[in-house]
Amino acid sequence: MSADTSAAAVTKDSGVDPDKSTSLAKAGAWARRAPLLPALIFMIVVTQLPFVATIVISFMNWNAYYPKDRSFAGLDNFKTVLTDVNAREAIIVTVLLTVGVVLISLVLGLAIALLLDRKFKGRSVARTLMITPFLIVPVAAALLWKHALYNAQYGLFNGVLKFVFGDSAPQPDWISDHPLIAVMFSLVWQWTPFMMLILLAGLQSRPMDVVEAARIDGASGWQIFTNMTLPHLRQYIELSGLLGAIYIVQNFDAVFTITSGGLGTANLPYYIYQTFYSAHDYGTASAAGVIVVIGTIIIATFALRTVLSLFREESR
Amino acid sequence: MDTTMSNKAKNGLGLVSIVIMIWTIIPLLWIVATSLKSDAALADPKQNVLGNFWPKDISWDNYKLIFSGGASDLFVPALWHSIIVCVVATVISVALATFCAYAISRLDFPGKKLILTSSLAVSFFPVIAMVTPLFNLWRQVGLFDTIPGLIIPYLALTLPLSIWTLSAFFQQIPWEMEQAAQVDGATSWQAFVKVVAPLAAPGVFTTAIIAFFTAWNDFVFSSNLTAQNAQTVPAALNFFTGASQFVQPTGAICAAAVIVTIPVVILVLVFQRRIVTGLTSGAVKG
Repeated sequence: MSADTSAAAVTKDSGVDPDKSTSLAKAGAWARRAPLLPALIFMIVVTQLPFVATIVISFMNWNAYYPKDRSFAGLDNFKTVLTDVNAREAIIVTVLLTVGVVLISLVLGLAIALLLDRKFKGRSVARTLMITPFLIVPVAAALLWKHALYNAQYGLFNGVLKFVFGDSAPQPDWISDHPLIAVMFSLVWQWTPFMMLILLAGLQSRPMDVVEAARIDGASGWQIFTNMTLPHLRQYIELSGLLGAIYIVQNFDAVFTITSGGLGTANLPYYIYQTFYSAHDYGTASAAGVIVVIGTIIIATFALRTVLSLFREESR
Repeated sequence: MDTTMSNKAKNGLGLVSIVIMIWTIIPLLWIVATSLKSDAALADPKQNVLGNFWPKDISWDNYKLIFSGGASDLFVPALWHSIIVCVVATVISVALATFCAYAISRLDFPGKKLILTSSLAVSFFPVIAMVTPLFNLWRQVGLFDTIPGLIIPYLALTLPLSIWTLSAFFQQIPWEMEQAAQVDGATSWQAFVKVVAPLAAPGVFTTAIIAFFTAWNDFVFSSNLTAQNAQTVPAALNFFTGASQFVQPTGAICAAAVIVTIPVVILVLVFQRRIVTGLTSGAVKG
């Protein structure tokens, strides 16, 4: 850790003041590096233009069905989104889905990371297998859950029920009975490895000599876990939770594939998709898009603050 | 921790990890098994062994269907589009990001932090909100349903990610070695090729894999900005139909899912350690 910071410090120094050389050398250094800046400009153009366009359109009255009525709408689109019943439901579904998936996969991920942090036979095999769900193309994973696992006739779950309880076993139709939970579990399955990876990296960066010292001083395993491991993991838990939340808020693949947004599982991205492609209301769709962005930012800051204050209180 | 742990505890841990493996690997094996089942075996559990799990007679019909049969019109072009679009987008974004990250880690200029933060913020930007303005624009300028029309939005996905990951890697490179080489009489080009490039290569490589992975997995852009001529596999998967309208194309979907997953799984398993470092070093410094 200290090596990194010193290297960074050296870099900084050499950038500001390369060897205290003459101004000519300085100009030369800039000339050598100036051609690199267009890459920055290109990146800003490529990535920021759609963003700006969305913001502009969100303030406009723009429906493809009424091409002549294109005009400035002020905050009307945002009002529509926040008062529309479907949109409000979509917001609730998004929150439920995000919170549920992040919490469950964080807890599972932490448990598995703690397990894989220990040495035992077959650990590397277990770790590799553990990562695989994260590697599957998300759409393929959603299709896997929809067709291969949840399917009432030939899905794995009902097959197992029949195998265990005989032919009279209940054969529920998982997706239509519990649509939101069905979507949630396919996402938990995919995201647990991600949480596990980051938390495992955190666990393995733990200073073991301190833990050893605590054990010699008679600390129990649970005490070490709550007083040393958890505080150390704080930034890793924050990070995995935040990144997970940010990606799950904008999840579209699983909702689109498993339920097509039906049965009360339409989240905000799906609502945007519907407003845009079915209703052709570009203004409202963009406003909903801006709301998703704002929501993402709020989640990020809010989650960060809560977790931070939580740990500060604990360490007092 | 290991010294105090008894053999019994170790065996117990091994058992628990078997449960974890079942949880992750059974669904995967199931998709492989389903892709190898004929339509008859799918409908009739008696033709399968291990409680309807593995087919008694392995059938390659589903793979034939997607590569040369009825579904090949949809799947084979989609596979090519996926490969072309993802490779081009990865190469461009890594090349640009290398320059960019080099500038960020070597230069001290105002707005450096802003660039890094905004590149991170952009990669969090919901793609579905980017798709809508692009859809209109692309149809007006004729980029809708073309390969370049997909590469550009993919750059918007992969560039910020690449810049962020590469900057984290480049910040760990001991840059004073470049100067040391120059003091020893190397030209700046030699210093770059002989000293900096070998140090930077693993980071660049990891970034390329992560960028490829992101582009390969995309569904939103591909399903909304293409119709046929540039459709990639994730989008095509959702539009599969069975042998007739009334047959669920489950077997074919599973076969296609196996095919698209294989390259990613191989890539990541081979370069696992590097990717984990890349994913975590991008965000946690330390």
